[in-house]
Amino acid sequence: MPEANASASPREKAARRRGERRERYEALFPPWALAASGLIVSLAFLFQPLLVTRAVMFLLFVLAAYFSGKRIALSSTLLVGIGIVLANLLVPIGRVIARVGPFRITETALMEGIGKAITFEGLLYASKACILPSLRLPGRFGSIVAAAFVYYDRIIEYKGSVRPGSFIADADKLMLRVWEEPATVRRIEAPARYPGAAYFLLAALSAAALAPALLAQLHA
Amino acid sequence: MNGLSTQGPSEARWRDKADIVALLGAFCFFLSAVEYMVPKPLPFMRLGIANLPILLAIDLLPLPWFLLLAVVKVVGMSVVSGSLFSYIALFSLSGTMVAAMVMWGSRKLLGHQVSAIGVSILGAMTSNAAQILLASVLVFGEAARLIAPPFLAMGLLTGAVLGVFAERFSRTSIWFARASGSHDA
Repeated sequence: MPEANASASPREKAARRRGERRERYEALFPPWALAASGLIVSLAFLFQPLLVTRAVMFLLFVLAAYFSGKRIALSSTLLVGIGIVLANLLVPIGRVIARVGPFRITETALMEGIGKAITFEGLLYASKACILPSLRLPGRFGSIVAAAFVYYDRIIEYKGSVRPGSFIADADKLMLRVWEEPATVRRIEAPARYPGAAYFLLAALSAAALAPALLAQLHA
Repeated sequence: MNGLSTQGPSEARWRDKADIVALLGAFCFFLSAVEYMVPKPLPFMRLGIANLPILLAIDLLPLPWFLLLAVVKVVGMSVVSGSLFSYIALFSLSGTMVAAMVMWGSRKLLGHQVSAIGVSILGAMTSNAAQILLASVLVFGEAARLIAPPFLAMGLLTGAVLGVFAERFSRTSIWFARASGSHDA
């Protein structure tokens, strides 16, 4: 609807574009293969000894999370990152490289702080890019989590009935309603078909992520 | 586990622990989404209202199912938020599991000598303490001791508020009365 598009606020337009990116991304990658690849890449990132390589990987994770349609909060990332670096600077370790009043900025503490901040945020973005909400966990545990999501969908249908003023009574009614409502038969969905190239791409990315860590080990 | 196939409520269903875990897990996800909408002054600051179903479950579920609920909460919320492979999930898992065990232990050892408010405060404080300990190893280093006092004070406050909610809910809820009535059946 072009008229609706024209009247949409910038925030609504951004949300719509993000939704489109998410649809494209989820149609491309099988959730379990993406999660497995994400686990390998995250471990490679975690054990990557070189800060520069880790920083490059971090930027790639942010890019991947952007294309996955997840919300990217760069200001929050920056704030948390600065907080981690400052916390590490509070305990001086190594050569003093600068002074701000009585506060000494030391080299080792600064590098450790930057490394920890990149690791913290990098793992979060890698996880955002690799964990899709449609991921189904295996086994009995997976079936309980899946059943919880079925209940969650039903709760969301009635969420408007919970008001802050009567939270406890409304929450109780909602629990009874969701519990006693006849279970809807779950739709049996045909297994989604994903492009074969997606598997090769994920395998290649996992291998590429492992390569720097393995090379660093060989040179050590 | 018959949560997906049962066509109506029955007495047997109240005894299906997996179904109760699934429903309480779903409420954890829902309350987590509610909490997400509440503005936070700092990125790390959380009210912890998603722990309300766990607090209620102490009197409803045997220990293995109770711990399973804690894991379902962490894993489900991590899948929804996409943070499953991050430190965030690790913090959440450590805090939730430690708190779950302490809350369970305090209730079983002290019975109703300790109120839901007391149990909740114990849970919130130990959860925050576990997370501070992990943060000192993974993120903040020795400086973690500086964030410990405000973080623990916050746990005291949010734990008390959550405990008041749990106390009132368990006293007035029809769902809770039915679920706990069938517990020993």
